[in-house]
Amino acid sequence: MEWKDVVPVLAGGLVILIVALVVKPVFLGEPIGFLSPGPAPVLTLPVYVPPTPAPVVPPFPEGGAAYTRNFRWTAIDGGVQTTQVRVPEALFLAHRATPQVADPLAWGRYAIADADRPILEDLARRVAPPAGNPEEDYFRLMDLIFFVQQIPYELDSSTDSYIEGAIPRYAVRQGEEAGYSKSPVEMLVDGRGDCEDAAILMAGLLDALGYDTVLLRYPEHMALGIRMNEFNPYYAKYPPKYFTYEGKHYYYVEGTDYTTISTGNSTFWGKPFAIGDAEGTGIPGVKSGTPEIIPLRYIPTPNEYRIRPARLPAGGA
Amino acid sequence: MDLKVPKLSKPKLPKVAISRKQALTAAGTAIFVVLIALVGGMLLLDYTGDRQVATFGSHVAASEADLSLVSGKASSLMRSSSDDLSVAECDAYMREFAAVADYGTRVTVYHRQIVGADRVPEAYAGAQSAYIGALDNLNRAFSLWSSAAAAYDAKAYTTAKENLARADEAWREYTAAIEDYDRELRSAEEGGWIPPA
Repeated sequence: MEWKDVVPVLAGGLVILIVALVVKPVFLGEPIGFLSPGPAPVLTLPVYVPPTPAPVVPPFPEGGAAYTRNFRWTAIDGGVQTTQVRVPEALFLAHRATPQVADPLAWGRYAIADADRPILEDLARRVAPPAGNPEEDYFRLMDLIFFVQQIPYELDSSTDSYIEGAIPRYAVRQGEEAGYSKSPVEMLVDGRGDCEDAAILMAGLLDALGYDTVLLRYPEHMALGIRMNEFNPYYAKYPPKYFTYEGKHYYYVEGTDYTTISTGNSTFWGKPFAIGDAEGTGIPGVKSGTPEIIPLRYIPTPNEYRIRPARLPAGGA
Repeated sequence: MDLKVPKLSKPKLPKVAISRKQALTAAGTAIFVVLIALVGGMLLLDYTGDRQVATFGSHVAASEADLSLVSGKASSLMRSSSDDLSVAECDAYMREFAAVADYGTRVTVYHRQIVGADRVPEAYAGAQSAYIGALDNLNRAFSLWSSAAAAYDAKAYTTAKENLARADEAWREYTAAIEDYDRELRSAEEGGWIPPA
């Protein structure tokens, strides 16, 4: 064989190689030469993994050590009422040993705490027994409000506010001041508390009776908001104050009783505040301000969650 | 020393005697071969492009099918009543929300990798890029859902609320990216004309 016979064969092979290794990859955007795009990554199709259920918390034992507290208050009909509350010591101590919830938006958790619920349901039924007549619902509601308003007021910074005679270890301290939000049963055992403690207790009791309530948080105060469609009683000497939240009206309810009545040498925690009365507190921010509304059950949910179907390319699957 | 250069004879190339007829035949054959190669190449490219679009389409279809499963889980959760729940029930609701968010995050990562690895004809590059952008935005939204659920678990409701506001924003960007994708796809299928947004 002569060289002139071999040259065309070699040239043909070279052309094929150039087309395969250079021209085709350039057209198709593939790597030039012998470089391989590499093995495709092995991916596993994701599947939905349901959440693991939370461990069941055993209820606090009924028969163990307990705090017993007696309450005496003036009901809406002017009659003096009394009742007794029993709180398991273990429940009270568990609350005291729980760190405070720092975000006020989460304070509704205190009011509807599952462990406190049986005690609040029982107390609410005794303070405001179920009425045979639906028209008496208003009086039940007011009895419950008056009950809480007449629990003595005490600042968080005062050691008198706690049965231990000391500020709880999880209180939030700012210099001389201390802040401590009590759960409803802590308020009942201590027998006193400040505005947010009263609002939380009142919210827990009213929620136990089925009322829709929120907490109203001002810079220097906290009160309760109760949902009512319309509340404008003929006897009110004030325009009842309400706030709109998610399209519903929540009327202002004071949880503490700042008004004192002096008789001779004695001073009594006296006149209760009616629903919608924000004037009587004497706190300027409450008279004219707009509170932050804290729902008892707060579930953050997105507004946008709908998948928008995409059109498939013609000729696609 | 006296060196002598040897006399070299001129190399002789073989004489090729080609007639006019033979030359024309050779040229004609060459042109025919080139034409066949061109037509074959174009057919090959066309076939490869169609196959790539079909593969891209099947991957988008698979992604949409999985996203509809995520959507079903999310919609079902959002439709369930959150009224009058106990604290434990609220927490359980949020754990379910976290599970849906995690599922959505993993699904979007998975399909983003697959669609992103597709080779598509140049005309479809815009649609592919827009669809990947949509999956990225959706992934960001689901990640923010997860962050919101974690913040809720830590009782930092304000942070949870802020995360969900950002998730809503990412979701709106996802919707806009899907609109871009539809527009780019239409443009690719109609031959390059992009209607106004």
